[in-house]
Amino acid sequence: MTVLLHVEALVVEYGSGDGTVRALDGAELVVEEGATVGVVGESGSGKSTLGAAVGGLLPAAARTVAGDVRVGGVSVAAMTPLQRRAMRRDQLGYVFQEPIGALDPTMRIGRQLGHVLRGQGRAAVLDWLERVALRDPARVAAAYPHQLSGGMAQRVAIAMAMASEPALLIADEPTAALDSEVREEVLDLVFTLAAGAGTAILWLSHDLPAVAKRCSRVAVMYGGRVVESGPAAEVLVAPRHPYTAALRRSVPSAAGRGERLVPVPGQPPVLTGAAVGCAFAPRCPAVLEPCTVDRPPLVGDLDRDVLCHLPAPVGAAR
Amino acid sequence: MTWIRGLDRLSLAGLAVLALLVGAALAGTLLGVGGAQDAIVGPRLAPPDGQWPLGTDQLGRSMLPRVLAGIGTTLLLSAVAVAVTATASTLLGLVAGYRGGWVGEVVLRGVDVLYAFPTIVLAILVAAVLGPGRSATLASIVLVTVPLMTRLVKVAAETVARRDFVTSALISGASHRYVLARHVLPNVAGTVAVQGTYALSVGILVEGGLSFLGFGVQPPASSLGALIQQGGIYLLAAPWLLVWPGMVLVAAVLAITVFGDGLRDRLEPRDSRALK
Repeated sequence: MTVLLHVEALVVEYGSGDGTVRALDGAELVVEEGATVGVVGESGSGKSTLGAAVGGLLPAAARTVAGDVRVGGVSVAAMTPLQRRAMRRDQLGYVFQEPIGALDPTMRIGRQLGHVLRGQGRAAVLDWLERVALRDPARVAAAYPHQLSGGMAQRVAIAMAMASEPALLIADEPTAALDSEVREEVLDLVFTLAAGAGTAILWLSHDLPAVAKRCSRVAVMYGGRVVESGPAAEVLVAPRHPYTAALRRSVPSAAGRGERLVPVPGQPPVLTGAAVGCAFAPRCPAVLEPCTVDRPPLVGDLDRDVLCHLPAPVGAAR
Repeated sequence: MTWIRGLDRLSLAGLAVLALLVGAALAGTLLGVGGAQDAIVGPRLAPPDGQWPLGTDQLGRSMLPRVLAGIGTTLLLSAVAVAVTATASTLLGLVAGYRGGWVGEVVLRGVDVLYAFPTIVLAILVAAVLGPGRSATLASIVLVTVPLMTRLVKVAAETVARRDFVTSALISGASHRYVLARHVLPNVAGTVAVQGTYALSVGILVEGGLSFLGFGVQPPASSLGALIQQGGIYLLAAPWLLVWPGMVLVAAVLAITVFGDGLRDRLEPRDSRALK
């Protein structure tokens, strides 16, 4: 498999001086063509910043301090504006958390979708609306975004993101704003369309089991770094990083009846500069002396990468 | 015209008054209702009666055509000025809000300088540079109304620029110019319309103030401000010289403000009055 997306030691900061916040602190991520990768982390772990960085869509207040993002082998930072535009158009699709906000309130659905389809005509618009399982495509095409329900709007947004059959679809918590009944349908849709078009998915979420259920690979983010990555089933069943293990124990559906949930103690860190040691050390149950002074190295073997001074051995449950 | 249906009664009344004033101005200037505005037709300072419905002024000119012409001059000057303001502010505000960075700062600081001047001082300054008259009035209204509208369009454009659908459009390969024209502009159009109505009432007041001070529309031409200025001199002898243009001015500003409020409630529901 060829590498589609390579995020290399990416460091991104917001603001400057005393107000600096480090959102990414050396994040590493590889997405192969056609792969489905779930990025899991708490709010503030840097996953949205990571998603934006891939498209060169970081806000003006963000600075890329170090590292690189390469899409199809080409560095996003080194692209000319024209190349970047072409890269976004041909290779990327985004689905956002807030479906209504992803649609222009002043434009009818049909016209918006028509723009993305680049003059392929009304038949193509209706065809796409049908492909995302919207009943009565003609009516939806004539509607304004505020006349749609959240689920319908998200289907339209998915159609718009997938219309160019991109190489990579970045979905930033695409179901967080939806009813629980609609969630699975929308996810089914995303994964079916992506599989059909050979599109790789980068799914940003905070829900480890949900991600592990659908994705081939999982990357767990903490404090602006990817602390563990590997095949979804292995990461979920036998986490090597203590944070992944803690995350797994705090999920309601994973616990047996009558079993107590174990919350992760403490608060996620807000970094103002490079973390001195391991960002998770203050909350880690198995903290060692080097954890607070040395940045943990990347320990990788057998397709499993983990950032820890004391990683659990491969295959052993933590 | 679906937007009219959403207006409350108060704003509809404002709209009606405004339409009435425009109609009156047209009747006076185009149809010649009340006769010529600059012809001496009767005794000086005659009180309103059957022959001269609004009385006559200090030169014996009938007040009715003069007030109608005054409404026309004032509304036209303000409307043209507001059109210029809306165009300039929309362009500046869109670019400043969408682009941000130093471009936005330069635009904002630029309009801040204008903002720092008290309205009438700025207007007098313009009149001193351009010489009193219509063009000075026009330029004054534009300079007075541009800062606020530019700021508000900038803020609106900034908010829109951060919305997901703009990101979405960029992802699909749209150019910045396309995004500005097709996505950002329609979404700030409501702000421009609402601010335009407020600017119109400011324009009427600036014209009034400037003409009142003698820097605006010059006699024998008539404008509300010029009429009020002349009427003030004969306030005790012939109050109708002041009362008619004064009442019309108040009615116009009130009507436009009330209509603007209604328009804002209609177009920007989130910022609207919570209590009705």
